[in-house]
Amino acid sequence: MQIDFVAREITIKLVYYGPALSGKTTNLQALHAVAQEGTAGRLLTLETRDDRTLFFDLLPLTFKARGDVSIRLKVFTVPGQVIHASTRRLVVQGADAVVFVADSQVEETRNNGASFVDLKNNLKAHGVQLKDMPVVIQFNKRDLPNVRSREELAELAAKGKEPVYLAVAMRGEGVVETFLGALQLAWVKLEKEHGLRAKFGIDGNALLAQVAERLGRPGDAEAAVAARVGGIPGQAGSGP
Amino acid sequence: MTEPMSSRLDELTLGAISLEDLIDRAALGELAGSFFELFRVPLRVFSQRGLLVEARHEPEIYRYLLTIPAGRERVYQIIEKVKAIEPSLGQDVVFECFTGAAYRVSAIGHDGRIIGKAVLGPYLPASVQQVPKDLLNVPGVDPEKVKELLAAMPRARSSTVAQIAQHLQRNLELILFSGHKALLTSSMHLASVRESYRDLAEKNEKLQEAYDQLKELDRLKSNFLATVSHELRTPLTSIIGFSEMLSEGIGGPLTNDQRDFVTTIHEKGQHLLELISGLLDLSKLESGTMAMHYTEVDIASLVRETVQTITPQARKKEIRCSVTIGEGVVSHIAGDPMRLRQVMLNLLDNALKFTPSGGAISVRLEMGTLGVAPDDIDGAVLFSGRQPAIRIVVADTGLGIDDTEKQKIFDPFYQVDSGSTREVGGTGLGLSIVRRLVDAHRGTVRVQDNQPRGAVFVVELPVGAAGGGFVSDPP
Repeated sequence: MQIDFVAREITIKLVYYGPALSGKTTNLQALHAVAQEGTAGRLLTLETRDDRTLFFDLLPLTFKARGDVSIRLKVFTVPGQVIHASTRRLVVQGADAVVFVADSQVEETRNNGASFVDLKNNLKAHGVQLKDMPVVIQFNKRDLPNVRSREELAELAAKGKEPVYLAVAMRGEGVVETFLGALQLAWVKLEKEHGLRAKFGIDGNALLAQVAERLGRPGDAEAAVAARVGGIPGQAGSGP
Repeated sequence: MTEPMSSRLDELTLGAISLEDLIDRAALGELAGSFFELFRVPLRVFSQRGLLVEARHEPEIYRYLLTIPAGRERVYQIIEKVKAIEPSLGQDVVFECFTGAAYRVSAIGHDGRIIGKAVLGPYLPASVQQVPKDLLNVPGVDPEKVKELLAAMPRARSSTVAQIAQHLQRNLELILFSGHKALLTSSMHLASVRESYRDLAEKNEKLQEAYDQLKELDRLKSNFLATVSHELRTPLTSIIGFSEMLSEGIGGPLTNDQRDFVTTIHEKGQHLLELISGLLDLSKLESGTMAMHYTEVDIASLVRETVQTITPQARKKEIRCSVTIGEGVVSHIAGDPMRLRQVMLNLLDNALKFTPSGGAISVRLEMGTLGVAPDDIDGAVLFSGRQPAIRIVVADTGLGIDDTEKQKIFDPFYQVDSGSTREVGGTGLGLSIVRRLVDAHRGTVRVQDNQPRGAVFVVELPVGAAGGGFVSDPP
């Protein structure tokens, strides 16, 4: 996070992480598509000729909070392909929260796990422990056959601390929920570390409600954040 | 090394970015020029640091005013006022000049931040019909002259200028976005390469450490082998010596059984000694501490003599032995006679082991060449040419060796895994010692198939430099 007291700007960095072809860029495209006029800037994609992410995608979102404070959200994706290890390490640096986009297909389970370990190692390379990083997990591609069952995921998710969202990013389903879930966790942590309410008078719930509205979901913030399976009760969904 | 690059990345993605970072000044100048040519409205682009480019033609009326002291002062005031205008994003400011002309100032934004401004003007709005009083009131102006010059000034409708400003905005937005993207791509590229380099350097360091450790272990192993072999040989010499004395009856007469037992002790002791000597040789060859004594060697005699050495054993197994000396074979080569004898004995011993009863072992000596085969490598002509070599061919009619095994049999302790190998025994050291001794002579050894069955070992040794001696000691 960066705070610019003069310009009254708070810049928050969210990173979409996950194995290759799990739908990280698709998530950003879906967010871009639902964002209201004036909220999202151009979606910047640095991709190869075959549409694979080369360095990262970047979606800038800007919200005006109370007292004319600009909340600038920089939403990144990392390149999923194994060979881009060093790029992932660079992009994930300084993240305020991570959305881990997993592929729901049964045969992708191993790749999901490997990518999560990669995330853990890359955070560690920057001196950050995974347990200190707000992480939400999205199981994408729920519409495909041969996916891990909702019951199985719910059972496992209940054991982990990360809130788990189910999504079909291609259709935009679960995308805003995941995003709001991650933003909420990020805000809780940033509020704790920087006292944003005291400094800027910004209320987390109000901000979340505003973001939900600007992403085409007016009055739906709380329900959207709560549309998860698993996660430690009280940590997510109870409001910042 | 990573730190500055990633903070640069943060700067480019999270922080404020300047117009100069994103745009090529010369190219922006061309764009401004083409706007001016198309719309005849002067254009200036400012970054946060000041004027970046301008495309204009000073209207005659301003040139005239600059010649009058009061006029010059008023014009400069206007310029300062226009420069001080700070419009917000999407909200252009139109400034009217005392001449009746106007300026339109728009903010240039990127990523929701203002990073510069564009000033269109002066232009004469279509709505201005008369010479403004403010202009006529400037002390020293000629009313007729200003009327004439003002009429000659290009006119533009305010709505048209608003459209031009909007069009410019859209153009700039695209250019800035593309510029940002290119900047990010190149920075990211550099950062990734550096990060990968750092990663590899780290891994290399670890590999080097592991390699150094292995080398040290290897050295310790060789030392250990040498020491142990030496220590083992000392008591073994006593075992062999005393068992031989016993079997010869020096310690008193023995019963037949006793003699058999003692003879077995003697034979096994001998075998153990060979094994230990082999280990010792190998460790010396590996550590490069084996002393080689080069001299002129009568190779034909050496070959004949070694074949004679094994002939009694061959006879026992009913194996025929023959030696053929080819035409024109040189009589002497440079080498260590003791080690060359060892090479021959190891090869013959091997042949004897694997050749069944009724078979044959033939040894042939002929001339050959050693060196780079011309089609082996590019630019072969640049490398040392072929040199004459003596070729020792040891052929047997034994089991033969599979193609897959042909390289491995020269590795230490490697034994072709078959029942027969275990039957005939051996240490698995003989051929690896042969390879190393031949290497030490700068020669080659290889194995081929014999027809219809069996193996052929071919050793090629350079005849030596002119005069027959080695110039320097090989390792």
